[in-house]
Amino acid sequence: MGDYSASVQVGIDTGGTFTDLVAFDPDSGEISTFKTPSVPSKPGQALLNAIDGAGIPMQSIEGLVHGTTVATNALIERKGARVAFVTTSGHEDIPYIQRINRETLYNLHWRKPKPLLQCRTDTFGVPERLSSEGAELRPVDTDAVIAHCRQMRDQGIEAVAICLLFAYVNPEHEQQVLEIVERELPGLPVSVSHVVAPIWREYERASTTIADAYLKPLMRRYVGSLTESLTTAGLTARWTIMKSNGGAMQAVAAADNPIQTAQSGPAGGMLAAAAMGIQAGHPDLLTLDMGGTSADVGVIIDGEQKHTTAYEIEWGVPAAIPLIDIKSIGAGGGSIAWVDAGGFLRVGPESAGANPGPACYGHGGQRPTVTDANLILGRLDPSYFLGGRMTLDEEASTRVMTPLANQLGMTVVDLASSIVEIANENMASAIKMVSIERGHDPRRFTLFGFGGAGPLHAAAVARSLRIPNVLIPLYPGNASALGMLIADRRVDKIWTKAYKSTNIDAPLVEQQFAEIRDAAIAELRAEGFTGEPDISYSISMRYLGQNYETEVPISPEAVTAEGLAEAYDSFIRVHEEIYGYAIENEVIELVSFRVTASGKRASPRLAVVPESETVPVRGMREVYFRGMGYVPAQVITRYLLQPGTTIEGPCVIEEPGSTTLVEPGMTVNVLEDGQLVISL
Amino acid sequence: MTMTAETIPSKIDPVTLTVIDNFLTSTCRDMGVTMMRASYSPIFNESLDFSCVIFDPAGQMLAQAEFCPSQIGTIKFTVNWTLDELGLDAFEPGDVLIHDDPYRGSGHVPEHMVLKPVFYNGKIFAFVANVAHMSEPGAKTPGGLSGDATEVFQEGLLLPPVKIKRRGEDVPDIWKIILANHRTPKVTYGDFRAMMASLDLAEARMIELLDTYGEELVRSASAELLAIAERRMKAEIRSIPNGVYTFEDTIEDDGITDQDYPMRLRLLVRDEDIIADFTGSAPQATGPVNAIYAVTASAVYNAFLHLTDPTIPRNEGCYRPFTIIAPPGTIVNCSFPAPVAGGNTETSPRITDMVFGALQHAIPDRIVAACGGTSSPFLFGGTDPRTGDLYAHFHFEGVGWGGRRGIDGNDMVVTINGNCRNTPVEVFETRYPSFLIEEYRLLTDSGGPGQWRGGLGGQRILTVTNEVTVSALLNRMKTDPWGVLGGGDGARGGLWFKAAGSEEWRTFVEAFGTHSPSKFSGIPLKPGDQVKLVMPGGGGYGSPADRDPASIERDIANGFISTERAKQDYGYAAQGWSK
Repeated sequence: MGDYSASVQVGIDTGGTFTDLVAFDPDSGEISTFKTPSVPSKPGQALLNAIDGAGIPMQSIEGLVHGTTVATNALIERKGARVAFVTTSGHEDIPYIQRINRETLYNLHWRKPKPLLQCRTDTFGVPERLSSEGAELRPVDTDAVIAHCRQMRDQGIEAVAICLLFAYVNPEHEQQVLEIVERELPGLPVSVSHVVAPIWREYERASTTIADAYLKPLMRRYVGSLTESLTTAGLTARWTIMKSNGGAMQAVAAADNPIQTAQSGPAGGMLAAAAMGIQAGHPDLLTLDMGGTSADVGVIIDGEQKHTTAYEIEWGVPAAIPLIDIKSIGAGGGSIAWVDAGGFLRVGPESAGANPGPACYGHGGQRPTVTDANLILGRLDPSYFLGGRMTLDEEASTRVMTPLANQLGMTVVDLASSIVEIANENMASAIKMVSIERGHDPRRFTLFGFGGAGPLHAAAVARSLRIPNVLIPLYPGNASALGMLIADRRVDKIWTKAYKSTNIDAPLVEQQFAEIRDAAIAELRAEGFTGEPDISYSISMRYLGQNYETEVPISPEAVTAEGLAEAYDSFIRVHEEIYGYAIENEVIELVSFRVTASGKRASPRLAVVPESETVPVRGMREVYFRGMGYVPAQVITRYLLQPGTTIEGPCVIEEPGSTTLVEPGMTVNVLEDGQLVISL
Repeated sequence: MTMTAETIPSKIDPVTLTVIDNFLTSTCRDMGVTMMRASYSPIFNESLDFSCVIFDPAGQMLAQAEFCPSQIGTIKFTVNWTLDELGLDAFEPGDVLIHDDPYRGSGHVPEHMVLKPVFYNGKIFAFVANVAHMSEPGAKTPGGLSGDATEVFQEGLLLPPVKIKRRGEDVPDIWKIILANHRTPKVTYGDFRAMMASLDLAEARMIELLDTYGEELVRSASAELLAIAERRMKAEIRSIPNGVYTFEDTIEDDGITDQDYPMRLRLLVRDEDIIADFTGSAPQATGPVNAIYAVTASAVYNAFLHLTDPTIPRNEGCYRPFTIIAPPGTIVNCSFPAPVAGGNTETSPRITDMVFGALQHAIPDRIVAACGGTSSPFLFGGTDPRTGDLYAHFHFEGVGWGGRRGIDGNDMVVTINGNCRNTPVEVFETRYPSFLIEEYRLLTDSGGPGQWRGGLGGQRILTVTNEVTVSALLNRMKTDPWGVLGGGDGARGGLWFKAAGSEEWRTFVEAFGTHSPSKFSGIPLKPGDQVKLVMPGGGGYGSPADRDPASIERDIANGFISTERAKQDYGYAAQGWSK
């Protein structure tokens, strides 16, 4: 990397196995990428290694957006803090009773999910009570709270989640309890429901608050030590962490709201997919993001990701945060192959991760992984992994495969081929869940293959699902990090207060809207945004009596006492559009008021056009395909390919962060911007 | 015309077949989302007490999603009655029918079905339907399910299948009659609109499917899906050893008399067919615990859908191998005009459990011990002082489920005939002015002891905040949720009253002179009075002596069982084993 002015934008995505960096210099228009192994024992180290390895001077960085799996992994592996759940006395079992329904019908062996609490005795009831209107019926019994704090200390509690009934209407009691907990247990992380998720329905709010507390000690340590290291290394810019909703938030804020980062990395990937799909003329995508540890799949229709707040850590354990809708499964390059009790070969979800990693990494991995299988099948070049910065040990792969192959009575090559096929089928099943099961025919979509391992498997997965085309973006191994560069600064502010249309305090609404707008802009400014922010307003409304709101965007002119009538008309119109009916003269409830302030950022130039005129064939390699055995395939250096080039498979297209495999009978075309389309 | 496994239509590639099956199922699911979001009653938007289904013109169910199993089983009878009574020629595009009469195929009066034909190329291609439990059906007491009703006429406004919309236009006379008979016409209006919105969505989706794949292909695929379901269900039945299996259980009192009503099941399994014979069950009850035939059949289907591979397409084909014999005039097939409200909520899960009880030795690794076996229907209503409007609500609860091989029973899950969610305390108190919920917790020691313990029941204590009228139709207060294969019984349920200013919990019999402690209607309560609902636990599986000590220790640490009961039921003491 060359010299930078103090204007470089950097996106860094830390996955379970690798950490990817993409840097963009708006002055030169230059994009650069870098990939380095993650360091699970010290997650922040990989981020520093990436910046260092890419040769970017800290002082030149103007913006740094980071996607992290710290929260995701802690939730999946249930390795968070021991949390005390503090609630209104009499309701301590909220996390255990849940919503009393079952995940599926007709399964007598289903187990109700367990909350993120270690023991039922870690729940604490506080005598206090608010009415549904937020009026105090019983004051907080402060002595009881103090006694609970002592018990928490004795029980080794590491974080506290406070969720009192009706705190979303009136936060005063939660604030009182918070004050006592902070005084009695100084320094102990606390999450409070009216801040974490100011929504009604006590179980959903409690579950989200518990999850936030569960992550907080971990995330605080992570952000704290990383901030210190970055500052020591000379970073002057504020750094931000990717939120699950596709926006970025300041790192210190993420430490205080860790549940918002539960789907941090995948959000970046989906932003990149949407942008690159539109650029390639493929706006309807099924996305396959395969990394070292897991695969994430999602749907993009007409260039738009699906957003939801229906995130669940597992079925029945909600975390009501705004996020981009994706599904994760344990299928990555590091996924371990094993034989189950019934004698069937399985792949994942356990992963060799970054350490020891697959056997071929030579760090002591003793169990065969998908990457080992790919190496044996000739799909990876042992001398060109990470662009040649890492050499793979094929003998080690064969060595760890042999016992398993003997156990199953097959050759090592057959075993390797079976491992890859099972991993592919696992991913195909996950894609079916987000497409077929929701009524989308996968044959009408393009498969967007990215992540370090996605392009190696995408063609086979597409074949299994009869998806006609596969799109491989630029820098597929760094796409999530690239998405982080595209992410706009985005601040959402919500004010909740149920009003009836017959009885609305319009001047107060106008004033509240102005206040949260100013707060949103101030937060945007604090994150270093200097341009003109885009402001949008919406009101969530429902007919009096309904329980679910419809969010209606409103124009800035309507945000006045006089303009609210226009908002009611919009609601009635939108309601009729969605549900096919309107109720005349019915009272409308205005439940929450939202302002979104976004700061657009300069978009990187997403194109690579090489100067070489010929197909840059580096050589030929024997690659194994089931039913054909080892077949000679061209090995091509990707970023020397000319736009418009068409190549017949089989071929292997290599680049530093990833390898694209094109099967026999398929063809690959190079688009104007350098993206690849494989036609099946 | 009925397709059977032998008349398999033209081969369709498996991907297309799967896409169409999943499209139909996801359409049902999306109907549910529309219903949830647009409806007015917490029983719909929180509890999801409704089911969305798609039928072919012959009245065969093609698809459903994860709704209430009892509704899914009975709606087949509701739709078939409607089509038989009216004939296909009666339907025009844009028509919507409404129907709730249990003696014309509905499960019970609160269950309202709306049905819409889907026309394609001028002919009926399918019917889409939504059956939903209205929280106010216009019965003798608010919320329906009056525990001491003696005739179906007291259980709500009976609606034979009539058009509430004709050619896309409301039929105002029908609307007027219904809205005049419900205590909460505004809520009924909004809920009916939401139900109809779900039909409109399904109609549009079906047309989209037909436009994409063509009429012939969708028709063939539907027939093939029915045949596949039947074939696979028969293969599953073959895995149950042939034999005659019997079981007996008892419905305790009926709200009017203190009589017990035994139910007897004789289950004949032969190769790929099953006959469930209820001959010998008690005569129909005076009070509302009677099941109509559709409910009994539905409860048997429900049991076998739980015992077989969940990946079988859940359509009409699954029902074909079953014959249900239930003599008329009995508690499992009552005659007009007997009251039926509790048959669908209380008797139904008990019938399903009886199938598991009968098969405990035949397929011990697949069955489950009895669950708490009650929906704990607790109905209330009155005048909302905030608005002056009448209101009504059907409140229900979860129960402990039975232990199964290798797994303890789940704590506090809704009974097997439903899959509804609870109403959150915050929604409950916001919507209804009647109660403050003081307590909602699991009940220690309520799970039946066993190698795999029954799940815990729970307890809810409510304080009356404004004058309110309450009714109940509970069960399992005098009989035990039984264990299997040496497992102990779960704890019984209860319903208690404490007058304002008093310290003593009394039964409703003691406090108000009702016939039954669990079934009554129209009791007025005053501010400061308290009600305690106790939900039964599940039965245990296998001998408690075989329980793993680490599980007992974990149960004690979590307060799932007390140290006293650990000693008494399992012979376990903190310092070690006492025997």
